[in-house]
Amino acid sequence: MRYGFFLGCNVPAVRPDVERAIRLTMPALGAELVDLEGSVCCPAFGAFPSADETAGLAVSAWNFSIAEELGVDLVTECGSCYSSLRLARKKLLEDGEKREAVNRLLKPAGKCFRGTVAVRHIIDVLYNDVGTETIHRALKFPLDGVNATVQYPCHTLFPSEVVGFDSPSGRPRMLRELVEALGATVQTYSRELQCCGGAGGFVKGSFAGASEFAFKKLDAMKRETEAQLIVVSCITCLEHLDRMQNEMNRKNGDTACAFPVFDYNQLLAVCMGFDPAQVTSISTIPRDGLISRITKC
Amino acid sequence: MTDLTNVNTALWREITESCGDIRKCFNCNTCVAGCPAAEGSPPLLIRNLVRKVLLGLEDGLLEDETPWLCVTCSACEEMCPMGVHPFEVCLAIRRWQSRNDETFIPAAIPEIFETGHTQALGQVREKRRAVGLDEVPPTIVKFPELLEKFREMLRNTDIVKDNEYMFKE
Repeated sequence: MRYGFFLGCNVPAVRPDVERAIRLTMPALGAELVDLEGSVCCPAFGAFPSADETAGLAVSAWNFSIAEELGVDLVTECGSCYSSLRLARKKLLEDGEKREAVNRLLKPAGKCFRGTVAVRHIIDVLYNDVGTETIHRALKFPLDGVNATVQYPCHTLFPSEVVGFDSPSGRPRMLRELVEALGATVQTYSRELQCCGGAGGFVKGSFAGASEFAFKKLDAMKRETEAQLIVVSCITCLEHLDRMQNEMNRKNGDTACAFPVFDYNQLLAVCMGFDPAQVTSISTIPRDGLISRITKC
Repeated sequence: MTDLTNVNTALWREITESCGDIRKCFNCNTCVAGCPAAEGSPPLLIRNLVRKVLLGLEDGLLEDETPWLCVTCSACEEMCPMGVHPFEVCLAIRRWQSRNDETFIPAAIPEIFETGHTQALGQVREKRRAVGLDEVPPTIVKFPELLEKFREMLRNTDIVKDNEYMFKE
């Protein structure tokens, strides 16, 4: 198992502890990661795809060409990167004219899009390539007696024919089973399948609306579950659900909403015994108390 | 009543060139029902945008900022019973707006031209070192000669050629 680790922009800059967790856990589970040297923004839907489609496809193709030269599929944690790259790849494969236009743009840089490598989300790799049994066997600190909720990254669900790997996308279960493999109990709630609302232009363009949207989800989680943490597998879900709890507490004048939020690989890293100071150091809602309980120190 | 005497009847062709046929849309509202940004203020009502495009109401559409609220979750793409691609329509409207009014061009585009990224990856050295990572990630920020080639590529795209003043180094 060998993959090109596509970093994108937010993971390495905003939450490098997630990058560290991925770099430590994946090889330890037999999934070798190679760097995609010279990679750029995926690009984000709100960038080139919103102004110049061919330019956007060329930027995606730049990234593909790096993985193609190495002969590895790309794996990414970021939902937006995953979806942007999947959609771009489909367009490049299906539309010969666009592909030629993009390859004309790439040529002076000595690059070319051939369509020989796939884009994988890290949940897909963890579940289908690594497997829950291998994960379970690698644990030093299982999450026995811990209740969790999961946030499925919307970009890995829809449109299912382009991005889907869970079956069916409308009733995903892989992230849930991955969390259960850590020993935790996953509790469902009414708004479980609603997206976090943090991606795209919603927060920037309508902060009040986007906040209320997240508050409804967090409220439902509070009322309907006994969760001690939220597990996500997307940098946007991680940042947004963490930040929105702070917003909600500020609005309500209390500290009642305080679910620690973990990227799956961060939680996995803690359970595998890696140093929490490296793999879970950055958050708004404190995670230290729960981490101490997990590692019993 | 909406005034249909002064509309651009070719608008739908212009916008849908790169997002597929929207003429099958019969305004059922499924795209809106599952849309997070439909809870925005003002709300993103994708079916209304499709109607504006089909009717050729370009003046209103050029002032409409709601396409930029889209969270990009693509639930609408999955749910549309008519095989219209509402998310792609949203992006296509943004592109049409960006072509007709450069103030719509996202600031992220010149940023990516400048650095290859939407985040300042070269300026988080301490944060990265603290978690045991290389200070500079192995992306284009680490390879200035590749960044120059990347910019060269982008200089040949329409968005950069048509808006050169935004892409000074």
